[in-house]
Amino acid sequence: MSLITENSPPKLIVPQKAVQTNRLVSTRSGGKMVKDYWDRLFSARERGATVVWYNGAALNPIFQAAGIEWCHGEAFGARLAAMHLEGPAQRMGEEYGYNQELCSYARTTLGCAVLTHKEAAKYVSAADTADIPDIPSQEVLASRLPPPDLFVNAYSGCSTGQQWDEISYRLFNKQLPFFKVSYPLLWGNKADAGYLRGEEWMEASRYVAAQLHKLIEFLEFHTGNKFDWDGLRQSMHYIKRAAQLRIDALALCKATPTPAVFWDWVASIAPINFLPGNQDLVDYFAGVKAEIEQRVIDGVAALPGERYRLAFDGIMNWNKVGWLANQFADHDAAVICGRYTHSSFWNEPHLIDEDDPILGMAQHYLLCPFNHSTKTLGELLLRDCETYGIDGVVFHATRTCRSAANGQMVMAKMAQARGIQTMVLEGDVADASFYKDEILMSRLEAMLETIDVRRRAF
Amino acid sequence: MNREDELKAILEDLARVAEDPAAYAAAWKRETGGKVIGVFPMNFPSEIIHAAGALPVLVQEDNAPITLGRSLLYEFYCGYTRSIVDQAATRKFAIYDAFFLVDHCVALLGAADALRFEIPDKPIFLAQYTASMDEAWTPPEIRKRVEDLREALAEFCGAALTGADIEASIAAYNRNRQLLRHIYALRRKGRIALSGRQMQILVKSAMVMDVEAHSAKLTALIELLEAGTAAATGLVKLHLSGHFCHAPRPELLDMIEDCGTVIVDDDLFTGFRFIATDVPADVDAIAALTRWYFDRNSNVPCSTRAQMTVDWEEYLARSVHGSGAEGVIILLAKFCEPHMLYYPELRQELLRCEIPHLLIETEHEGLALEMLRTRVEALLETIRLKKAQPALA
Repeated sequence: MSLITENSPPKLIVPQKAVQTNRLVSTRSGGKMVKDYWDRLFSARERGATVVWYNGAALNPIFQAAGIEWCHGEAFGARLAAMHLEGPAQRMGEEYGYNQELCSYARTTLGCAVLTHKEAAKYVSAADTADIPDIPSQEVLASRLPPPDLFVNAYSGCSTGQQWDEISYRLFNKQLPFFKVSYPLLWGNKADAGYLRGEEWMEASRYVAAQLHKLIEFLEFHTGNKFDWDGLRQSMHYIKRAAQLRIDALALCKATPTPAVFWDWVASIAPINFLPGNQDLVDYFAGVKAEIEQRVIDGVAALPGERYRLAFDGIMNWNKVGWLANQFADHDAAVICGRYTHSSFWNEPHLIDEDDPILGMAQHYLLCPFNHSTKTLGELLLRDCETYGIDGVVFHATRTCRSAANGQMVMAKMAQARGIQTMVLEGDVADASFYKDEILMSRLEAMLETIDVRRRAF
Repeated sequence: MNREDELKAILEDLARVAEDPAAYAAAWKRETGGKVIGVFPMNFPSEIIHAAGALPVLVQEDNAPITLGRSLLYEFYCGYTRSIVDQAATRKFAIYDAFFLVDHCVALLGAADALRFEIPDKPIFLAQYTASMDEAWTPPEIRKRVEDLREALAEFCGAALTGADIEASIAAYNRNRQLLRHIYALRRKGRIALSGRQMQILVKSAMVMDVEAHSAKLTALIELLEAGTAAATGLVKLHLSGHFCHAPRPELLDMIEDCGTVIVDDDLFTGFRFIATDVPADVDAIAALTRWYFDRNSNVPCSTRAQMTVDWEEYLARSVHGSGAEGVIILLAKFCEPHMLYYPELRQELLRCEIPHLLIETEHEGLALEMLRTRVEALLETIRLKKAQPALA
């Protein structure tokens, strides 16, 4: 008998107005790759693998070369939220004492940690779950994470991210090895500071690179495995190729109407964020790019009724991705680019030196989209608005993520000064209770009407 | 003037500074012609600004409702950060010549960055201190940041800022902290009767005033306090914990005491946490300020730092036993994530040690004091019941 897991039947969905959208077909294989990854990770304990729990930057190539398996805390929190299965973990977190205003990623994964660490894990291994009446079945997925053998924290742009793993470490009785990578915010005290430039950028890059070398020593010490430098170079070779394909494909969406939308790119976050660097990853993004190229040739629009071109700023709304995609489509609004998809995840592949990848990796970790000054964020947003011909920007005011919310109001003013319309969407990264759906729709309609009025005026 | 009047006069002087830091800073600037530099909590070494000849003022939350600041930060930021952007937006920061900070709190950085747009004529310098303190490479990194501060302040203030300058300032600040700790020690022993509101005034004014002038006031105050009567007995002794970055509203402290309690100790930021640790005097100035950063967290652990080898909850339990406090009230500023994350650890330790406690979440917009009074009274009932139990047995 199976448990309620990722194959659970979807919840009842209220029918929406039927709008034809052409979601990318090629991204479906990414979904399978990600599911296979998690399924394999869930069996890590049985296979005798060493497991690291980590948060923040995409350190997975380092773990891959260290011969250990990796569990990205936020990614698992996002996955639970996207599958509407975050409830049990969040309830466990609340019962443990975490306030609802605390980062919902942290609440979810700390709740998972409590479940994993305590009772639920033993139920997962039970052969017949029908004999376990006390554990609600949805808890099972939240407790399926293999317990960690070590922790690595590498959270840039968010002090909470680092503090959260201090708590994870304590939840496991302060007995597991724990390594922390620290990042400076790219603040810009000096006149030469800016995106990918200036003395502060280079100093920060070297500081983080040095810590990555220390991390590798730490992993060698605690696993007893000699670090596979050739393996790291190889995986970074694949990641660089995959990243370049992704960037090239993103650029194709300058076309009007756009051949793919932000929601398609959301589907590709997990593969580029934490799947192994290998030929499969390259093939996946080659497939995505090829499909978009063909669409451009054939004149196929992602949203055939495209009337508005929007940008999305902020972190993802994992509980509501599908719902949001439908709402925007219903209004003929093609969301084309976003900070989380376009300014993140190996987004400057030219920085990666395949022969000596550590510095370029450190620089990408610093380029976390929440680790910039507001000035830089505003400049990147305006750049994207110009590149993609954006009419309006949607700011996701993420209730429990100050890291993603920082700078948004100033960025909105910068966009408005350029004649670009803006709106704020109140929501959250992994807690659906913070949404106000009707207010969101009213604001969207108001922004689109304003865009229409301006078009008529000019 | 008799003793009571003298005591009252000193406390009123300090209260005026605590209530209106900008007015004090303006008067100081008129008198000295020096620069006034705003610093943001919680780890900034004010000594280095003082050594540069400027007045360091730890920027305080003010009581005004958030108005224009709403266009800079969302409502789900802590009261302190929303208040500072609102003060900037409502032009209350005119007296400051620049702002400096070293802390990496995500909400504080968001607020400081918003200030760069709202008041672009004021330099805002971040020398971000690495928060993770366990690694061998962190102390050299912090030393670099202290050097950055020295360089930036020397340039901004046109000062030489020599090691000797900084050492003199360190001595002045250490003396001030020692005076405040002496008052704390007297309070723990029950030898003086200072209310929570009055203790807050002493620490808050220390965050604002010229350090030598403040120490002079404290010296006079201590003499008067020591000549006075002991604190009232028979009250329930409490420890107040938490409330990072800014002070809890004094009316909350009044209400807690009005319920029949005496606050004997605290680890509030605008309290003992701020003055607990001296800067070492046995190394060069930059090394001393570097080490102070680490010493502070070893001494009074803070959940904004990431350090595997110290635990706030153990410190809290130890402090409670040391002061004889019978219960703890944890004051948590709403939306303060490091505190929200750590609260379950504190709670578990207090439960394990059978120390009665209460969590109160504070908000910038005000407090439902009468509802909170009921909760405080319930805590006191618990404490009294606990005290009565051995007798019943």
